[in-house]
Amino acid sequence: MTQAKSTRADALLDELDTGLAEGELPAGLFGNQEIYDRELRSIFGRCWVFLAHESEIEAKGDYVLRKIGEDNFIVIRDEEGGINVLFDACRHRGVQVCRADSGNTSHFRCPYHGWTYNAKGDLVGAPLWRNAFGGMPKEGNGLSKAARVQSYHGLIFATLDPSAPPLEEYLGGMAWYLDLLFGLNEHGMEVVGPPQRFVIDANWKSGSENFAGDDYHLGTLHRSVWEIGAFPVPFRENMMGYHIQAAPGHSLSFSMAPTEDEPGPKFFGFPEELAETFDTSRISDHQLEIARRSRVMVANVFPNFSMLALPMTEDGANHAPTGVVTIRMWQPHGVGQVEIWNWFCVYKNMTPEQKDRAYKAGLGTFSMGGAFEMDDTEPWITVSRTGRSVAADLLDFKLNYQMGMPGVGIAKQVEDWPGPGIAFWTRYEEGVQRNLYRHYADMMRAEPGTWPKSSFDE
Amino acid sequence: MVGTGARVRVGSALYNEVVEWMDTEAELLDAYREREWLEAMVSRDVVYQVPIRQTVERARGTGFVAGAFHLDETYGSLESRVARNETAYAWAEDPPSRIRHFVTGVRVTEDAEDADLVSVRSNLLIFRTRQEQTQPQLLSGERQDRLRREDGALRLLRREVLLDLTVIGTHNLSIFF
Repeated sequence: MTQAKSTRADALLDELDTGLAEGELPAGLFGNQEIYDRELRSIFGRCWVFLAHESEIEAKGDYVLRKIGEDNFIVIRDEEGGINVLFDACRHRGVQVCRADSGNTSHFRCPYHGWTYNAKGDLVGAPLWRNAFGGMPKEGNGLSKAARVQSYHGLIFATLDPSAPPLEEYLGGMAWYLDLLFGLNEHGMEVVGPPQRFVIDANWKSGSENFAGDDYHLGTLHRSVWEIGAFPVPFRENMMGYHIQAAPGHSLSFSMAPTEDEPGPKFFGFPEELAETFDTSRISDHQLEIARRSRVMVANVFPNFSMLALPMTEDGANHAPTGVVTIRMWQPHGVGQVEIWNWFCVYKNMTPEQKDRAYKAGLGTFSMGGAFEMDDTEPWITVSRTGRSVAADLLDFKLNYQMGMPGVGIAKQVEDWPGPGIAFWTRYEEGVQRNLYRHYADMMRAEPGTWPKSSFDE
Repeated sequence: MVGTGARVRVGSALYNEVVEWMDTEAELLDAYREREWLEAMVSRDVVYQVPIRQTVERARGTGFVAGAFHLDETYGSLESRVARNETAYAWAEDPPSRIRHFVTGVRVTEDAEDADLVSVRSNLLIFRTRQEQTQPQLLSGERQDRLRREDGALRLLRREVLLDLTVIGTHNLSIFF
């Protein structure tokens, strides 16, 4: 990349590079327009990003309209059952060809001149074809497609960069942890209904870093949820567990008691009858054991796909907490806005009653009307405001990400952790976030066609 | 949720009672008197839902998705939300946002089977600001309610809020519709 002159964004990325070793981030990362514009190309234009769950488009012709960065893509199942991710722009004049959020169709017809495409994105015709286009090949005039599309546990990802490593290599050590949430039995998971969507005035990275393993905020921001009995593990006990840098960029956190015989929630609070179906058909003994001991798992797949599994209730007086799984996208929507797409997942072999209970508990806690989530958006709005501020620049204002660094707090690296990545015991630790921003910094500076390492071992 | 019986005429005693009920409800909610609203105006059997809406082609209907919600509440979960807003740690609403319910187009229908039930449809506009905001957050939609007379007083038995939005543009849904 040849930069004519150094810009404010370059300076911010320099500050990030040097600051990370000290646990310091420049606030401008959360509000600088040029940084944001670069993210759209260097992060969202290159990384594998989540689009949909396969259970949303089960039948041939089923489609949903989703986004990579700020751009619309049609995710559609074709006649052969294959999944296509098509750029929603007619090859003729660039007009949007899909104008619904979801549906079922055999083709898309552009409303402008009538160019018509099938579910694979191939151009199949236009009005009075011979008069207008006779002699012109249809081949090569189809809809543009994502460079690659792959699923993992039914989670559909795509990348616009043909030089991207295969999805499993991109996920690296994170795949092992996705396995122990989504692959606990042979049935796997499905989503309940279409996603909730809401827009708040915050930067997308605030969501990603929160789900990378910010457990410490629960005691203050979410204190109200204990007062109403929505979550069964007290704050101090819930800080016990592991912080894991699964692979560069991908981080997660488990709430786990110090001993395996603690009586609290097992398997993220999933119903016992469901947990009886969990086995090692798709995962190892170690993975099953970690899931069994875990009260909470929260994770972020770089850049902006997050998940959370934990026992929750929307009505502590009448219902015991049950395992809730939310997956969500922190979709960039300009430097100062994020669109949150929120799905709830259930195991396919749960009873209708169990699914309904999990859905209600999820809605009442981790949705925009939920007791947890409605407080989360509050601080992120002002993080973004600070990120835009001139004062932050003039005062050389740095954000503190030092928790768990050597000499800071009680977190210690675990030497005999059975899974991939770097693990710390106790969750008083922000290495999970530094890992996210280390990889972010590397992606923001990577030359086109080159990739930062996807494993700590390389 | 259109009632099964006759339309209740504007100006009749029942119509006036329903409109007064709606005005009282809006007044309590706008004044943060949520517990009073819950205890005096909501039935223990309430079902209170805000379904998810999608943009779909005209042939596929209005886009509301059966069984998928922004909110799906019972009395217990509404109580939980009221209690949350009363704690000292509900940061999202402390300082509280300012809200105003505008209720218009109240249409009342009797129930053919049950004289204690009335169905009410109304248009709702919520005007919300927070902190120094000058641009309001607006939520607009239709409420489809069923009120039931319990011990002489009307109470909210069923509320479905059909929003005119597919993407919600307010910082949280800690408010009541």
